[in-house]
Amino acid sequence: MIHTMSLMHDDLPFMDNDDLRRGKPTNHKVFGEDVAVLAGDALLAYAFEHMAVATKGVPSERIVRVIGELAKCIGSEGLVAGQVVDICSEGNADVGLDHLEFIHIHKTAALLEGSVVLGAILGGANDQEVEKLRKFARCIGLLFQVVDDILDVTKSSQELGKTAGKDLLADKTTYPKLIGIDKSREFAAKLNREAQEQLAEFDPEKAAPLIALANYIAYRDH
Amino acid sequence: MVFSTVITPSPQLHFPKTTFPIIQRAIRTYSASLSTTPQRISTSQFDLKTYWTTLIQEINNKLDEAIPVQYPQQIYEAMRYSVLAKGAKRAPPVMCVAACELFGGHRHAAFPTACALEMVHAASLIHDDLPCMDDDPSRRGQPSNHTIFGVDMAILAGDALFPLGFRHIVSHTPTDLVPEIRLLKVIAEIARAVGSTGMAAGQFLDLEGGPNGVDFVQEKKYGEMGECSAVCGGLLAGASDEEIQRLRRYGRAVGVLYQVVDDMLEAKTDKEINNKKKNKGKSYVAAYGIEKAMEVAEDLRAQAKKELDGLEKYGEKVVPLYSFVDYAADRGFSVGDQAQ
Repeated sequence: MIHTMSLMHDDLPFMDNDDLRRGKPTNHKVFGEDVAVLAGDALLAYAFEHMAVATKGVPSERIVRVIGELAKCIGSEGLVAGQVVDICSEGNADVGLDHLEFIHIHKTAALLEGSVVLGAILGGANDQEVEKLRKFARCIGLLFQVVDDILDVTKSSQELGKTAGKDLLADKTTYPKLIGIDKSREFAAKLNREAQEQLAEFDPEKAAPLIALANYIAYRDH
Repeated sequence: MVFSTVITPSPQLHFPKTTFPIIQRAIRTYSASLSTTPQRISTSQFDLKTYWTTLIQEINNKLDEAIPVQYPQQIYEAMRYSVLAKGAKRAPPVMCVAACELFGGHRHAAFPTACALEMVHAASLIHDDLPCMDDDPSRRGQPSNHTIFGVDMAILAGDALFPLGFRHIVSHTPTDLVPEIRLLKVIAEIARAVGSTGMAAGQFLDLEGGPNGVDFVQEKKYGEMGECSAVCGGLLAGASDEEIQRLRRYGRAVGVLYQVVDDMLEAKTDKEINNKKKNKGKSYVAAYGIEKAMEVAEDLRAQAKKELDGLEKYGEKVVPLYSFVDYAADRGFSVGDQAQ
């Protein structure tokens, strides 16, 4: 729900101004900007309501903790921070790697981090384990964006399900633009390795889905 | 305020299929409520103005601390701009704290939730004012958020304030005062009030029109916040389910009363603004006329107080909430900046 609402708001005309998302016309194109804003707000609220009322078999303390954790990931220290810096960087030729990493760690990775950490806490992980998973998530979050940047340059809109070539048009700073396609691919491989290292001490069977997810993100073609 | 005792014929009203909103009940039971007024605790000695302004100070300090400016500055400045606006009356926090104290809760248990209510309230106002929504150039006596920071930053400021509210409740509410299971109820209550069955619904109907009259919109837009604030206060203090329901009805009545009176005050002072409301949103006065509005206001006042009548066992602690009703109706003093 949170992911969807952030995409809905992101796609709005006065934000990224996207006409296509997940293979369909964007929400505001179908329902209007006002409804897209409100629907996003409603989804955001409902996510928290749902967590608070529908989570069963978990002690209240843990549910409260994950609510706090999620709120932190999607707000001004997480998702929104990334979006803000992204907006303020548009058209700016001086955006360096650090800056780009900030944007991606917050804009893309924050929600992934939140998802993984929430799962860990709900599952009863200790603090050390939570931190390993947090690091795992940060790696794959960044990995996701690096691959996204590469795909934007190399694929068409139909294959992607969203508007391709946008980054170049908007003169946006991307990994391929900063360090070239080859180095970007190298960086992606490094991130994938680092991510999987975090899971080394866990039961391989139980860690398998997360490992598969990391590989999926690294090797996806859309 | 002089109220007419002649009941004018009511216009055709649309009754939603499921529940009868509070205002429809108000119109139908107006004559009945005039007959008996039970003896109530005297509120004439209670200094609401001082109580309220003291609370405003505390809430403002806490809000200031809760949103420190850090990187990236723009978003924090945008958030602070709206949350710390001088014109904010802080009615939701005051209702929340008063309701909490009514049931024996400590105000320190309530402050984080009170702040969260303001953050969430500010977030919904920022979004409401956007060009694609109500397109309001000003709010609380200052230019609206998007006119200063841009539409994109305003959207994000709202998107950041909603979760900050929840986070603030979790990180700042002392768990020795409020067990986690009650915190979850508070969070669920705020989320519900803000969402698709609450304020978002109200705003949607306000914008898109439809068969529902101004009554439904008023309840959804303004009743919800009042209801939510009072209920949260009760939840924090561990009030019983029955007491929570009373608070719910009380808060809803006060929230709507406040807005009906606001509409009346605007209609009296400036006809131009009245016309603007007719085109853009739904004003109670524009829809039903000032006399009907007065009747409804009086009945809402009676309804709100009636809910508190069942709480006599709490003695003096009920007084702030009583006084609040009279303030909403009569506006005997000014709090913050009255400009909207």
